[in-house]
Amino acid sequence: MSVIEYDVIIIGAGVAGLTAGAWLSEQGLKVALVTAGEPTACLSTGCIDVCAKNDDPLQGIAHLSQDHPFHLVSSGTIRQALDDFQQIMAAMNMPYTGGLENNRRVLSALGTFKTTCLTPVTMQASPQNENERIHIITFAGLKDFYPGYIISRFKNASFSTYDAGVSTTMGIAANFEDESFLEAFILWLEKQQVREDKIAVPAVLGLESAAAIIKQIEYRLERPVFEIPTIPPSMPGRRLFNGLKDHFRRKGGMIYWGWPVVGVEKTGRQIEAVMAQSQGRPNSLNARAFILATGSFVGGGLEAKRDTIVEKVFHLPVFVPGEREAWFDQDYFSMNHGIGRAGIAVDSSFRPVGCPWDNIFVCGAILAHTEALKNGCGHGFAIATGQAAAKSCLEHLP
Amino acid sequence: MKYEHCIRCTICVENCPVFRVNPAFPGPKQAGPDAQRFRSNREKSADEWVLSCSQCKRCEMACPCGVEPAQIILRAQQKYGLEHPHTAAHLLFANNYYLSTLGSLTAPLANRFAATKIGKKIFQRMGIATYIPFPKFSFKTLRGSMKSRSRETRKVAFFYGCFINFYRPDIGRKIIRMLQSFKIDVVLPPQWCCGLPALGNGNLALARSFAGKNIASLSNYVDAGYDVVYTCTSCGLCLLHDYQGIMEIPGAKKIAENSYDLHEYVLKLIAEREIKPQFKEVNRTLAYHIPCHLRALEIGYPAANLMQLIPGLTCQILDDNCCGLNGSYGFKKINEVTALQLGGRAVSLIKKTGAEAIVADCGSCRMQLAGLSGMDAFDPVEIICESLGIKDKK
Repeated sequence: MSVIEYDVIIIGAGVAGLTAGAWLSEQGLKVALVTAGEPTACLSTGCIDVCAKNDDPLQGIAHLSQDHPFHLVSSGTIRQALDDFQQIMAAMNMPYTGGLENNRRVLSALGTFKTTCLTPVTMQASPQNENERIHIITFAGLKDFYPGYIISRFKNASFSTYDAGVSTTMGIAANFEDESFLEAFILWLEKQQVREDKIAVPAVLGLESAAAIIKQIEYRLERPVFEIPTIPPSMPGRRLFNGLKDHFRRKGGMIYWGWPVVGVEKTGRQIEAVMAQSQGRPNSLNARAFILATGSFVGGGLEAKRDTIVEKVFHLPVFVPGEREAWFDQDYFSMNHGIGRAGIAVDSSFRPVGCPWDNIFVCGAILAHTEALKNGCGHGFAIATGQAAAKSCLEHLP
Repeated sequence: MKYEHCIRCTICVENCPVFRVNPAFPGPKQAGPDAQRFRSNREKSADEWVLSCSQCKRCEMACPCGVEPAQIILRAQQKYGLEHPHTAAHLLFANNYYLSTLGSLTAPLANRFAATKIGKKIFQRMGIATYIPFPKFSFKTLRGSMKSRSRETRKVAFFYGCFINFYRPDIGRKIIRMLQSFKIDVVLPPQWCCGLPALGNGNLALARSFAGKNIASLSNYVDAGYDVVYTCTSCGLCLLHDYQGIMEIPGAKKIAENSYDLHEYVLKLIAEREIKPQFKEVNRTLAYHIPCHLRALEIGYPAANLMQLIPGLTCQILDDNCCGLNGSYGFKKINEVTALQLGGRAVSLIKKTGAEAIVADCGSCRMQLAGLSGMDAFDPVEIICESLGIKDKK
């Protein structure tokens, strides 16, 4: 066996891929993860949506359509996977609050509520209704956050503006990592004589120390402080990605950046290796099994052609929801666009249906019938199927 | 240049080290694909801020859509360089190769001068930062100290690069001894600066002249059955990407197909069962700072794979942070604050790991990190040679 022959190669660095990779590394396997770029998880709110169809997420899952891939994961595995996730993120100093017992609400930058299951600890104090008394902080020149949207819906809200010297989400977040900047901010905030019960800040409170920063502000202001997720660049999404990535690496996983898979080596019913584009020779990596976690359309796992939909790495058979006319609903904002069901259909071992190879497992948003938007099952679904596919992979490892 | 593929997701911006600390730089999305839509060959470039890009290529590694913001900005930098007078610092660093040749010839004098107060003052006047000491020229270059031999069947043409040749020939000699211990014939083909410093200082014409000479020289060796092995990750990136890309050097593809990172090459030999190195215990706890350009080579981290084979060695990979120096970028007074802030951040994360020393493939990363942290910084090959019992005998 060559030195760079892996037990398992994960394709895709999103929440599903990193979860599967870390779990397998933890079992003592040699795991590599290859990725074309950074995942759409970085663009997300960082909240873990399990299933938003019901106040009780597990009840919600039980009522999903028959063919929904969530039914392939036992409730024990879902529970275990989310517990593991919370432990991982706590160890990375980015703890998550909430649990599978019931969903919670998170205030959005538009003043609406988003239903989710686990939230970063920085959103723990997010109000649960429009009557709560909140004071919103915004930053001079920050184009991605307008407190007016929230104030128009909240009767008991006011705002003040802080001049951070920079006006981008990234720039402000980087500044918060600097203790003297944080101290100056707190002193300013103390002078505002906030009367409301809670303080809201757009999600710019640091890059990796957000949990500690929010604690410090709460301690000094003597009231709960919470972050409101913003449009990308989204700091909570990046913290989530960084936490999972660093955890995977600590468990011994190796990551290959800039590695879009363009070719596959196979013998009989086994995939032997994946190959990446390169300026020089093609690079290839061998493994005994492969986990596909390349995401849906935005993530880059699926591509819609004129009349068909293709899976980009292995050209696996894709479930296509009928003719092109059936892909889209008339109403743009509808939750029922047929295209949301496109993806890879898998059997109970998370192996693609109708696939000529035995050592490929699929998890995350690329799975067929997911309808992530409609069902409100995002990262939670990725975490659960990520761990379930990894378990199946270990069980069936050739 | 595929700037139309940009979906404006800002993942590149999140990964840009310069954007993080320098509010004057609008970030890779705006400086790259966004601004590109407004750039015209018939108009003089006015966007001086393109020079703030350090060409670390982190944006390209992060982009999920295959856009290459750094490449777009690099081209804008060349256009800017063509249309505007070059500062003294830009001219000096672009011609780093000639400067270093002179520096090595007069090494005892040049090194002493660079360390004096007057020397530093003159540098600062010229727009050169002196927050970390300049690397010391070596009187005896690698080129001048090695003779070739040719007995073995596997043959390597070693592209050692300026840093090893002028400043650290001892590392070069270790590499040669290591390859020779694997029964590989090593020659030092005639070679010049890879051209990256010239490119980074807006001097495409000079870069192309270096590249053309290198390709002509290396081409002869490839034809004669030699594999090209490089050790500097930035030289490698230039050989593989820029010769074929922005410089458009004929014959560059052949060189790219036959060039290997040193550690990638050793791994390949192990995988093909040609060699079976016996790694002996090395009791060290190291932080492996991944140079941005190693990341950009898209070959994974082969030195990390190799160091995993060394018993007793603990080596934590850190690849989220740019050291800030970026070759000559941080040595320019105008970028000093950026370089210092990024370096400080990288160092604080290294210190958090509890490592006793730093390891990094890139000479300029090592200079910056050692200079700012006071810790030792090694080339991975130094650790591997320690494990294999290979020493530098002059």
